[in-house]
Amino acid sequence: MSRYDVNVVLYRLKKDAAFRARFQGDPGGSLAGAELTDDERQAFVRWDTRRLNELGGSLHLLVSIPDLGAH
Amino acid sequence: MGRIVYAAAMSHVLSPDYYAKNVGPHGRAMVEALMDVVRDLGRAMLDRRPDALVVVADDHLNVFSFDAVPAFCVRIGQSVQKMQQDGAIEFDRALEDLPVRYPLHEDLANAILEQGLEAGIDFAASWSAPLDHAFLSPVSVLCGARPVPPLAPVWVNCFVSPQPTARRCFEVGRHLGRVIAQSPWNVAIIATGGLSHFPELSLARVGTSDVAFDRRIVRHLEGAEHEALCALTIKELHETGSHELLNWLVLVGAVSPARARVRFFGEMGRIDLAAVEWDL
Repeated sequence: MSRYDVNVVLYRLKKDAAFRARFQGDPGGSLAGAELTDDERQAFVRWDTRRLNELGGSLHLLVSIPDLGAH
Repeated sequence: MGRIVYAAAMSHVLSPDYYAKNVGPHGRAMVEALMDVVRDLGRAMLDRRPDALVVVADDHLNVFSFDAVPAFCVRIGQSVQKMQQDGAIEFDRALEDLPVRYPLHEDLANAILEQGLEAGIDFAASWSAPLDHAFLSPVSVLCGARPVPPLAPVWVNCFVSPQPTARRCFEVGRHLGRVIAQSPWNVAIIATGGLSHFPELSLARVGTSDVAFDRRIVRHLEGAEHEALCALTIKELHETGSHELLNWLVLVGAVSPARARVRFFGEMGRIDLAAVEWDL
């Protein structure tokens, strides 16, 4: 588990509209190159924001990703 | 000799729409009442004709990523832009109608930075970081239609562990006070954020605050019990959702031993709102 890698993906989802669009179209494929554990990857693919938060994902990122923010 | 001519701290999501959506009419009414008080504070601040306005606030992973998180950062340069975020959440949508660019007080910001490093306070410096709601929401409500004084923004890492301690924030504030006293300028200073919300930064706990803790903080501020504030631990601040008090600790250090007067305190449930002014 890496708090850093989870947050790198979250930050990119917030700031990079093209990456966000790829993620929304194909979550698993868009994360193919990301350094994530199976648990982290599954949480992203399911867009399980509570689980991502438990895995170290920043609350402020999770609530502020355009179209995906959990709030 | 320069001096601090005005000091105040206040919550920084000054957005009726945000609280209407997330709390309901009660939330809207409470933040509108707070904003009326903040406008009052702004009139008092601007009537003292500050040469500069130091704003101590935090980043919400809008500006700094996990690639590098400064404990303290001074914004240097001649001017600063507001943050522009596509699909911004309500916090930052409140910035949409505001001017894009604001003047900086370059000489004061450089003095804070350079004298800091000489004194053992190793600020990071940024030439490019934009300002999000933590800075511009209070500044815009304080100043209304009047010109915004040249800004000296200072970021505190409130949210990414490990944060600087409360005592360290107070020491940074002492440094600000010394720099201002040795400068030729009359300076206003504000700190923003809080009070308690988002305990443990847990998504499952969004919507709750710690009223008992906030009442205790307000008593310490009114009583100028600054040692009690410095003794707050990061664990306490995290558990109660009081991370942004670190910004307030910087201001308290700058004005200590001054006493605060609480101009607004509201228990909303999701967050406790406050506006506090110091007798200088």
